[in-house]
Amino acid sequence: MLKSVQFQVGAAAVLMSGVLLLYGIPTWVSVPTNVSRIVLSPAFWPYAISGVLMACGLALVWLARSEVAQPVEVGDAPPGAALRLAAMAVVMVAYVAALPLLGMVWASMAAFAVSAFVMHTRHPLAALICAVCIPLLLYGFFAHVASVAVPQGLFVRLP
Amino acid sequence: MSLLDNLALGLSVVANVESLLALAGGICIGVFAGAIPGMSATMAVALTLPFTFSMPPIIGILLLLGVYKGGIFGGSIPAILIKTPGTPASSATTLDGYPLAAKGEAGRALSMALYASCTADVISNLALILFAGFLASFALNFGPPEFFTLILFSLTIIAGVSGDSLIKGIFSALLGLLFATIGLDLVYGTNRFTFGDPNLMGGLNFIAVLIGLFAIPEILTMARDPRPRDGETRALGRKGVSFAEYRKSFRTIVRGSFIGVFLGSIPGIGAAPAAFLSYSEARRKSPNKANFGKGEIEGVAASEAGNNGVAGATLIPLLALGVPGDVITAIIIGAFMVHGLQPGPMMFVMNVDIIYGMFMGLIVSSVILLAVGSAAIRAFRYVADIPRGILFPAVLVLCVYGGYAVNNSIFDVGVMFAMGWLGYLMLIYGVPAAPFLIAFILGPLLENNFRQSMLMSGGDATILARGPITWFFWGLTIITIVAILRAGLKGRGAAPVEEVRAGAQDETTVRRDAQDTKS
Repeated sequence: MLKSVQFQVGAAAVLMSGVLLLYGIPTWVSVPTNVSRIVLSPAFWPYAISGVLMACGLALVWLARSEVAQPVEVGDAPPGAALRLAAMAVVMVAYVAALPLLGMVWASMAAFAVSAFVMHTRHPLAALICAVCIPLLLYGFFAHVASVAVPQGLFVRLP
Repeated sequence: MSLLDNLALGLSVVANVESLLALAGGICIGVFAGAIPGMSATMAVALTLPFTFSMPPIIGILLLLGVYKGGIFGGSIPAILIKTPGTPASSATTLDGYPLAAKGEAGRALSMALYASCTADVISNLALILFAGFLASFALNFGPPEFFTLILFSLTIIAGVSGDSLIKGIFSALLGLLFATIGLDLVYGTNRFTFGDPNLMGGLNFIAVLIGLFAIPEILTMARDPRPRDGETRALGRKGVSFAEYRKSFRTIVRGSFIGVFLGSIPGIGAAPAAFLSYSEARRKSPNKANFGKGEIEGVAASEAGNNGVAGATLIPLLALGVPGDVITAIIIGAFMVHGLQPGPMMFVMNVDIIYGMFMGLIVSSVILLAVGSAAIRAFRYVADIPRGILFPAVLVLCVYGGYAVNNSIFDVGVMFAMGWLGYLMLIYGVPAAPFLIAFILGPLLENNFRQSMLMSGGDATILARGPITWFFWGLTIITIVAILRAGLKGRGAAPVEEVRAGAQDETTVRRDAQDTKS
């Protein structure tokens, strides 16, 4: 059965706070043995926030009881929207993975060209020119003006 | 030193080519970004921030303030010419700006928008100069309990940036507070949610989080729906605004500016309500009431004065108390931190040159905005024509360079993308991102001041209400929460009536359509 957006957000909040309170905070927050008072403990703040998160989630679920169920969509998208989003996810993962291997400039050129293609650019030639020029210009600024150690990669190094 | 001495010191800091170029460059970037539907002043400030790392603090901050001011004005250009506000603050400008453009008087509307913006900007900056120092000298008496109550009160600004659903805004803020706990504990230095990864020990990088939250979701939205935007760009027409027309609207502009200053100095209200309040006040007092909404030049002046009056005033709580007035000033806090500065009362003691340099720069920025704005009005047609299929891949690459440049860390780029997807999920589920960012910034300050207070008192919670200042902020917090709850309950009570009305209207439309089909 389709639930309202408010219900889904509320359920996610309840689930998240439940996991944090029962498992996450005891496991992932280190508490020294010499903590004299609970309010000074490193776990106090995460526990307090998770508690309020639980209350907030329950409030969202309670408020959602009178809401009409609706699909989670922002406007109407043309066909292939999910595919394009998946393609962007792949571009982002590949981009991060390629940074140490290819270097930031070459990885950026590839990411620019592929994402322009995914976004159905109507100016492919201009996109290709920009895909080459913009990463180079940014490299020039960050490497030579801002003195940032831009990753160069293993294959072609830029001056 | 007196105020005049400080202002002279500030002038000496900014009276150089670099500062003026930074301001002019920032205003150009802001007007350009504000004028492109789909970009926003917030996104422009976030993307410009990494370019300021290598600059001296005052130059970098002036650049960002230029982007902020330019972005607010830039939003009015598409609001008038294509009925698409470039920023939410420009929504009120559409009401009379677009009808004027439809009559062939877009040039007149844009000129009035520019003059009203610059006038309001000057008034707002003067208010900042007069009140920020006074407030900061008062805040010098604050200790950790006072700061804790102040920051707690500041978190109520979340109500102002939550959009349609306050409770979703609170959810977003709680996520921000939770993400802010990642890293080493402030007192004991133990790990919190680091999963054994040394990259997480310093916490999540603020710049990566904010670029991820505000720029990446726009790229994903574009990927999801790459169709070109609708909207016909109107011609400018020949007519500008005469001095007599400006003088006629001057009272409205000043009134709107004061409304903007007042609402802007209260954290969380923002520019859009100021613009609408200024517009409704102008309409109420105008002899041409009936013409409002049909192309009344005074309406454009009122809404632009309202939204630009906020720009300087939001810096009052930021500089005097270290509390951001809205989401853009929350990003500007990041710029201060990157340059090793902590906005707040101590900055008026330790970095008085930077503070007053900024003030003088802001005054100069109003003049530069006048020049840049005039050129931008004529160049808008070219800005609007930038293909979105090229613009957004460029933004993606810019995000990666910016995300990396903060700490020279590829891990931060990964964090930025992860936050981008979180931001996109929040967008499609109607959870606002601004409360997340504000809570992410204020979270560590809130926790730090709370724990310092507890250390001071040996765990006695009564220290949090130790004197008149804490009582004052507790009182304000309680009053604000009660007001928010009352407004929320009233809204829920009114909603079914509205739904019935809307439903009836839909039914009528369906019936009418059916009748049309039959005939």
